[in-house]
Amino acid sequence: MHIAVCIKQILDPEISPRAFKIDPVRKAADPGTASLVIGPFDLNALEVAIQLKERHGGQVTALTLGSDKAKEALRRALAMGADQAVLIDETQVSAKEPSVTARVLAAAIRKLDPVDLVLTGRQSGEWDFGQVGALLAEELGMPFVPFVPRLDVAGNGLRLEREADGGVVVVEAPRPCVASVTNANDNVPRLPKVKDIMMANRKPITVYGPGELGLGAAEVGDEANRLEVLDLFIPEVKSECEFIEGEDGAEKGANLARKLVERKVI
Amino acid sequence: MFELTAEQKEILAVVREFAEREIKPVVKEYEPYDRYPQPIVDRMKELGLFGLTIPEEYGGAGLDHVTYALVFEELSAAWMSIAGVLGTHSIMAYVIAAYGTEEQKRRFLPRMATGELRGGLALTEPEAGSDVANIQTRAVRDGDAYVINGTKTFITNSRHGTGLLVLAKTNPNAERPSRGMSAFIFEHVDDVPGFTVRRDIHKLGYRGLDTCEITFENVRVPAENLVGGVEGQGFKHVMSGLEVGRINVAARAVGVARAAFEDAIRYAQQRVTFGKPIAHHQAIQQLLADAYTQIEAARHLVLHAAAKKDRGERVDLEAGVAKLFASEMCGRVTLDMMRVLGGYGYTTDFNLERYYRDAPLMIIGEGTNEIQRIVIANRLLEKYAL
Ligand SMILES: Cc1cc2nc3c(=O)[nH]c(=O)nc-3n(C[C@H](O)[C@H](O)[C@H](O)COP(=O)(O)OP(=O)(O)OC[C@H]3O[C@@H](n4cnc5c(N)ncnc54)[C@H](O)[C@@H]3O)c2cc1C
Ligand SMILES: Cc1cc2nc3c(=O)[nH]c(=O)nc-3n(C[C@H](O)[C@H](O)[C@H](O)COP(=O)(O)OP(=O)(O)OC[C@H]3O[C@@H](n4cnc5c(N)ncnc54)[C@H](O)[C@@H]3O)c2cc1C
Repeated sequence: MHIAVCIKQILDPEISPRAFKIDPVRKAADPGTASLVIGPFDLNALEVAIQLKERHGGQVTALTLGSDKAKEALRRALAMGADQAVLIDETQVSAKEPSVTARVLAAAIRKLDPVDLVLTGRQSGEWDFGQVGALLAEELGMPFVPFVPRLDVAGNGLRLEREADGGVVVVEAPRPCVASVTNANDNVPRLPKVKDIMMANRKPITVYGPGELGLGAAEVGDEANRLEVLDLFIPEVKSECEFIEGEDGAEKGANLARKLVERKVI
Repeated sequence: MFELTAEQKEILAVVREFAEREIKPVVKEYEPYDRYPQPIVDRMKELGLFGLTIPEEYGGAGLDHVTYALVFEELSAAWMSIAGVLGTHSIMAYVIAAYGTEEQKRRFLPRMATGELRGGLALTEPEAGSDVANIQTRAVRDGDAYVINGTKTFITNSRHGTGLLVLAKTNPNAERPSRGMSAFIFEHVDDVPGFTVRRDIHKLGYRGLDTCEITFENVRVPAENLVGGVEGQGFKHVMSGLEVGRINVAARAVGVARAAFEDAIRYAQQRVTFGKPIAHHQAIQQLLADAYTQIEAARHLVLHAAAKKDRGERVDLEAGVAKLFASEMCGRVTLDMMRVLGGYGYTTDFNLERYYRDAPLMIIGEGTNEIQRIVIANRLLEKYAL
């Protein structure tokens, strides 16, 4: 069983809103002093993969498209229990839209030993597109199951749970397939052991540039992006407080109801 | 000055996550009831924290003392007692790694690294605290064993742990009492005839953790458990271990003070009096600025001692200075941060009262601060001798 897990390093979403700034020129978040972490759902995906490996044997490969700093994310993945790590150097890649990311990841996955399963987080945790998994499946010509909190081997294929509105859909899929993982009580990412952190620092990380993946400017350059970010801003949240007048509770209630109707809240 | 490696940063990040996720949310289930936090201890075993500084060849992580100190700060910022679970364990492991025979290292360190053997330090006696040289516990050679008799008190980790480094007199007639002492590796995984945990000592702080009075009545310890295999070295071994202990105690003081400061600066921005957040009253700003300054200074002293230790240098002076300054600082800062919280700081609805109760241990334990001053002065008089 070979499981590939695609992870993304993002700015720590837990930072205080006040520390969060946007660089208006680059139209991107300003890293400031925020620490970098693995996207929360990507961590759930890693946890699902490692649990599957623990049950059935096999190996887990963590992949990321990122800068040299993203090696830290890969090291965390290795410390948690991934066996190999692959960094796709983003310096020659312009991934402004998920389809480019998916194309790059697919090319890297094709370079690995054949995979049985590819996992992504349900969404990245900063841009929240939630598209890479589906687009990756398309690129790889594999079936796709979204919003999966847990899965297991079933015969030659896999049995996956998919979260749906108000319930759970259980599906079977052949191997290989792609699934995007959502959080659940039983896939809370484990903390790595001290010694595994140290071992992770001694393991090699494979680095590919787009050229080694057979991707040129047409596939991963600026012209490959059809999506353009026109503006990026932090919405201003305004709150007002209004006291509802009235002689007694009944009158206040009636006045409140009228206001709510006026504002089309009810 | 202290640029950490990627590995050190990652280890600290994981310890911080552990503290945030698995210690802080549950402190209130144990501390007020003086209940032992067994599930947290079990998780510390899984994470490999008991092997932090044990050399890799003996199954540990072989980490440096800078990382060691910062891990103690992190754990103490969550709950100081948790650092206590590791504290004397790590000193015992240090003594074995530094002075044990090869056979002793192989026999004990791997099990200490996993936490299967959880150690402690048995020095203090009812009649001998600061005056360690006055201990009365005796160890007498009898064939292939030593027979130990005596009472030790204030022994942390002695009920829930499974091993102790016991300091005992092997030669009561030694010219200098300190030369008549030996340290023994004592295991009590199963009941040991003659070894009794007499009572748990109830404490102001450092609660949840077992600090007990224990007695040895004709307890037989195999002769091969004499540290280093030579009698008369125990005092020296233990004092060297206490250097590391002072670094960890100083780091704990930094952690507790930091937690108090962080709680207070958050509170100060939310609490409004006289029309503005109290953080905008200069009186409160003075307290916060002083606290932060002292915490930073203390941390630098701790890391300075730790880094020097990592270079293999003698650090009795630096570790003593760090312990003295950091613990006194912690006592002041926890009280000052309680002032910031006003009446609320005095209640159990906030953690401040716990930090305040935990702080004095760092002043008294691991050699009282009066003793630190004596050690520091003696070293200075040596250094500046005319
Ligand atoms: C919670 C807790 C946990 C502990 N855990 C352990 C443990 O795991 N293992 C262990 O062995 N011990 C442990 N101890 C014991 C601790 O190390 C001693 O309490 C400490 O060394 C002080 O000894 P004492 O209490 O006997 O005080 P004493 O030595 O009686 O001192 C009383 C006072 O006299 C002062 N004093 C003593 N001699 C001098 C001097 N020459 N000059 C000036 N002032 C002096 C001291 O500074 C102090 O103020 C623990 C203590 C506590 C409170
Ligand atoms: C055990 C206990 C018993 C009590 N019993 C009673 C009782 O019987 N009856 C009763 O009425 N109350 C009682 N109190 C309440 C007590 O009087 C208040 O806690 C106290 O007045 C402080 O108010 P506070 O806690 O709201 O702190 P805050 O007023 O919020 O003060 C917080 C901090 O800000 C500082 N601060 C506030 N304003 C300024 C300023 N302008 N400039 C500079 N610094 C400022 C304060 O000094 C303090 O350090 C009790 C409190 C306790 C803890």
